[in-house]
Formats: sequence, structure tokens, C-alpha cells
Amino acid sequence: MSDPTMPDRDASGRFLKPENTSSPRIAGDDDMHPAARVMFGWVSAKWAPNLILLVVALASLILIVIDLRVERHEEMEMANATGFYAFWGFVSFTVAVLSGWPLGRMLRRDEDYYGEGDSTPENLGRGGEE
Amino acid sequence: MSAFLTSINPGFVLVLVGLIGVAVPVQRVRQAMMIAAPVIGILMLSLADQGVDLMTANVLGLDLIFYRVDSLNFIFGLAFLIAALLNAIYALHTDDRLQDGMALAYAGAAVSAAFAGDLMTLFIFWELTAVSSVFLILRAGTRAAYFASMRYLAIQILSGVLLLDGIAYVYKETGDISLQAFQSLDDPGAFFIFLAVGIKAAFPFLHNWLQDAYPKATVVGAVVLSAFTTKLAVLACARLFPGFEILIWIGAVMTVFPVFFAVIENDLRKVLSYSLNNQVGFMICAVGIGTPLALNGAAAHAFAHIIYKALLFMSMGAVLYRTGTAKAHELGGLYKSMPFTALFCLIGAASISAFPLFSGFVAKSMTMSAVVHEGFIVAWLMLLFASAGVLEHSGIKIPYFAFFGHDSGKRVKEAPFNMLLAMGLAAAICILIGLPAFAGVGYGWLYDLLPYPDAANAYRPFTVEHVLTQLQLLVLAILAFILLKRFGLYPQEKPGTILDTDWAYRRLGYGFATWAGTVWSKAGPAMSDVASRIGMRAFSQIEMAFSPHGLTSRGMLTGGMAIWTAALLGLALLLSFVTVG
Repeated sequence: MSDPTMPDRDASGRFLKPENTSSPRIAGDDDMHPAARVMFGWVSAKWAPNLILLVVALASLILIVIDLRVERHEEMEMANATGFYAFWGFVSFTVAVLSGWPLGRMLRRDEDYYGEGDSTPENLGRGGEE
Repeated sequence: MSAFLTSINPGFVLVLVGLIGVAVPVQRVRQAMMIAAPVIGILMLSLADQGVDLMTANVLGLDLIFYRVDSLNFIFGLAFLIAALLNAIYALHTDDRLQDGMALAYAGAAVSAAFAGDLMTLFIFWELTAVSSVFLILRAGTRAAYFASMRYLAIQILSGVLLLDGIAYVYKETGDISLQAFQSLDDPGAFFIFLAVGIKAAFPFLHNWLQDAYPKATVVGAVVLSAFTTKLAVLACARLFPGFEILIWIGAVMTVFPVFFAVIENDLRKVLSYSLNNQVGFMICAVGIGTPLALNGAAAHAFAHIIYKALLFMSMGAVLYRTGTAKAHELGGLYKSMPFTALFCLIGAASISAFPLFSGFVAKSMTMSAVVHEGFIVAWLMLLFASAGVLEHSGIKIPYFAFFGHDSGKRVKEAPFNMLLAMGLAAAICILIGLPAFAGVGYGWLYDLLPYPDAANAYRPFTVEHVLTQLQLLVLAILAFILLKRFGLYPQEKPGTILDTDWAYRRLGYGFATWAGTVWSKAGPAMSDVASRIGMRAFSQIEMAFSPHGLTSRGMLTGGMAIWTAALLGLALLLSFVTVG
């Protein structure tokens, strides 16, 4: 009698890939949603990360150049400096993200630290029930 | 008939239909009721006269005003009713009587409280929001949800008790329980009510119930919960404590501290809960400024926030529903199978990040302008930091880790149609009120609904300066994200529990209570034993002395007493002779 915990073998004795019966399935891009190809198909292209970086860097530059041309009348003197908001946005974001390293080490504990079990709701009914 | 209908608080209709709905077993009939009630409520509200006590009663000598619409509560009530409608559509795929009914009753309680004209009516519906909403957490069915719901209920009820306590003080001092702005926090009544509002608004150190309970609620429950309680508290704050400077600093701190927790949190619904805290901080800060521009900012932000926060919770709910998880380290690449959900999530993310042409921009910029105009530079810089923080956790982290980023390989169905419909409607509102004003749409529609419409319409969000500075802040923050990711400096998403200040009562307090229980279980019997022995010994001594067989009953002692009596009387006689002689 075969061991139910072991995967099945074919006639040549090789292990057969077990069929994944549970949702969600693990798959490649072949069965991508048709609308996903139209809206976001370009995201997975190899050139996409570089293009996004280029576009954002260029947009940043343009916004700062425009700031040189626009005379602003901020109520706070400091904010009138060219690129003040750009600087504040960049630095704030960086500080917030980099703080994650020490904070994570300091504050992260085991998932069941409070001993109350998994917090994912039961009976999600995923995969059907439409 | 129409006069009768317009004099009833629409929240009452929602509460009644919600309670009846719990008993309706036919799913489609019940769900039709859940959708019809908020639609009728919106109609009733649109026909109601403003500035008039529409529904009053005298109960136990108290003049209660059940329904009073004015320029401040109108926009909150309208947002609550729209949220109730979106929630009902979002829940159509489920067949859960209790959840459907309680979600509507909770929304109704919030609407009723928003239109309350006195403190006692506010208290009644304040408590009803707590009691009805707890089911949305309980229905998740997990042990964690059960514990969280009990903590949630205890804290919400505490808020209600503090409110009632404050009302009692106010009534004793003034004999008046109408909803009026307090002048200071020196009176105990004002202070207790401030604390009660602070709990519901999730002020720093009073905030943990929110991040504890909301992520553990059901898929639908988290969406419903996100809309009402905290925004009701913002309305109460705007009504009772406008212009209190302490609120500026409380609000500013509220906007900043969740940013740090959200960065390291792995559960994306919990990230949204921290984000909710951060957004309410902007509103509280605006209420603290208290000028017409600032109060307009708070109200506009509340309206926009209710919609885009619901949209974000809906998108994460759809992800959780389809994949079985909302944890960032298990997700990624879902745009391939849930493209419409991804698109709606991106619209919600752009709205909360306050990108120009989305709702957050036209709402939040009023608050920012009001804060800097009143000269609170440090608070303004904190809000500016928090604006970049919002972009980090809600604008980028949520959509990136769920739908893009590393492909988790999960291929699931797109969200059910009803979920997509609710998300689509919410996304449409986010865009329509964020556009420049033209042809009856755009931000002009929102500004006309604000508490001070003249001040609102005098404000121009789409100036070159506003758009340029906001884009600078956001685009450079996005550049920072790309560079941090590229250089491997963005912290990896990891499973785990992030400690927050609720550690004090969940670990330290609970640990102390457990320790005290253990000590008592050992010391109790020992102390009982000692007490029992002392009691027994005392009893035996008393019995030995006074029982029928005791010492006092023996003849020898009786004779002794007679001798002592005679001796004392003789001594008294002798003394009297001596003193007379």
C-alpha cells in the first residue's frame, strides 16, 4: 500500500508532480488576466524598472527646474527655497524607510507572540461563492 | 407624508432595517433591504431642513434632540450614508445575516449620532456604534478575533462611560446638555468628554484598539469599520472642541507615529489601520486650528477619507478573500490575476497620497494651508513629513507589495463582481471630487457641502504653487523609494508581531493579572487556613469561657465574684468614712 504522504511515481519510477488542488494556484504568466496584459503588461518587461527610474528622475528634475522659474509666495519663508518640498519629500521618505531597520529589530516578535493564534479570518470562501 | 419622512433621523431607519435584517433569512431580500435603506436615507437627508430641531422628545426631564441637521454634520452624515451603501454592495457575495444586519445598524448608529442635537442622544448612539460593530470582528471566527473583539468592546464601552460621566458633570454644572463647544478642559465634564472622544478618535496611546481589532475583522467587517467610529469622533471633536490648541499637537503626533509602525508592519490590513490613524491625525490637527478654512479642511478630508480608505480596505479585502492572506511577505504579482482590483487600489492609493486630480489633494491642502497660515510651523513640518509617510505606506507599500513587487506566483480569480462594483463606485467618487470644478462635478461639489461654503469656494487648490509643491513632495518621495529598493535599503517584509503600546496591557498587564491570579491561588488557601485556625481557636476560647460548661458558669467563679463584690463595697464604705471624717 502506497504511503499517502509520498508523491506518486510514474511507470519509470520517477516522482510525479503533485497536482495542486488548493486555491490559489502557482503559475507563470501564461494565464494572465486579459485585462492585466492591456493595463499592466509592460510592468513585467525587463526594461520597465529602468524606464520607471528614468521617468521619475526626469520628472523630479523638471519639477525642480520649474520651481526655479515660478515665484512662490509661501507663508513660511523657508518653504520659498527652490526644491524645498522636493528635499523634504525625499528626506522624509528616506528617514521613514530607513527607520524600519532598527525598529524592525527592536519591535518585531514571533507571529504568535500574544498566544492568540492566527488572525486571518476563517471561512473566506475564496475561489468561488459568487 | 414627506414632512414626516424628512423629520426622521435617517440613521434610525438604518438601525431599524439592520435589526430586522438580522432576522431575514432570504439572502437577496435582506441584501435588497441593506441597499435600499441608505438610498432612502440619502433621499431623506437631502430633503431635511437645516438648522432646525426636527425630532425632539422629553425623557426623564431631559430635552433630547434626535435629529438636527446643520452645515457641519451634513457632510459627515452624507459620507456615512454613502459608505453604508458601498458596504452593502461590497457584501453582496456573502450570506451572513448577522454581519449584514449589524453592519447597517452600526452605520445607522453613526448617522444617528452625527445628527444628534444633544449630549445624551450622542451618548446613546455612541454606545450603539460600539455594541453593533463588535459583531463585525467576532464574525471572523478566530480565537484572535474573539480576544480582539473583547478588548475592542471594553475600550469602546469605557469611552461611553467616560462620555456619560462627563455629561453628568456638565448637566450638574449648567443644567444644559445641548451640543455646544466647550471653552476649556478645566471643567471635569469637558475633560471626561475629551477623553471619551480621544478614545474613539484613537489619540496616541489610546489608539491600540484600532490596529488590534480592524485587521482581525471579517473581509467585509474591516471595510465597514474603517468608515464610522473615528470619523464620528472627529465630528464630535469639531463640535465640542474646535480651536483647542492641544488638538493641533495631538493631531500632529497622530500623523507621524503611525508612519514608523506602518513601515515595518507585514499585515497589509494593519498597515491600513495605522494609515487610518495617520489620516485622522490631519483632521484632528485641523479641528485644533479651528478656523473656517481648517474646519472645512477637516470635513472635506473626512468625506474624502471615508471613501478612499474604504476603497483601500475593499481592495485588501478582495485580496484576502481570493488568496487567503493579506500578509505582504506572501503576496506580490497579483496584478496578473486581479487587474481591476489593482487599478482600483492604485486610485485609492493616489487619493490618499493626495496626488493632484484625486480627492485627497483638494481636501488635505486646505488643512495644510490653515496650519501654516496660523503660524504652527513645527506642526506643519510634521504634517509634511507625514504626507511623505502616507505615500510610503498607503501610496506605495499597499499596492506594490500586494499587486506588483516580487511575484508570489499566486494566480487567483479576479474579485467577485459586487466587490469590483463597490470599488469602482468608490474610485469614481475619488476621481470626481478631485477634479478641477467644472459642469457640476469636481471639487466644487464637495466644497459646496462644507461647513463654511463661502470660505471653501474662496480657496483655490489648483494653483501652480500648490500643484508644483505637492508634486515635488510626492515625485521625489517616489524617487527615494525606487533608489532605496534598487540599493537594497528597503527593509524586507517579514512575518511577525510588531509591538505597540498595547504591549503594556496585553503582555505586562495580562502578565501581572496572571501572576496575581497564580499568587492568589496559592496564598488564598494558605490565608484561609490561617484565618480558619484563628477562628477555630477564638471560638474554642470563647466556648471555654462562656458556654454552659465554660469557666463563667462554674460555681467557684460565681462565689469568687460575690467575694470580690463584697470586698469592693467594703472598700467603698471605708473610703467614705475616711473622707467624711
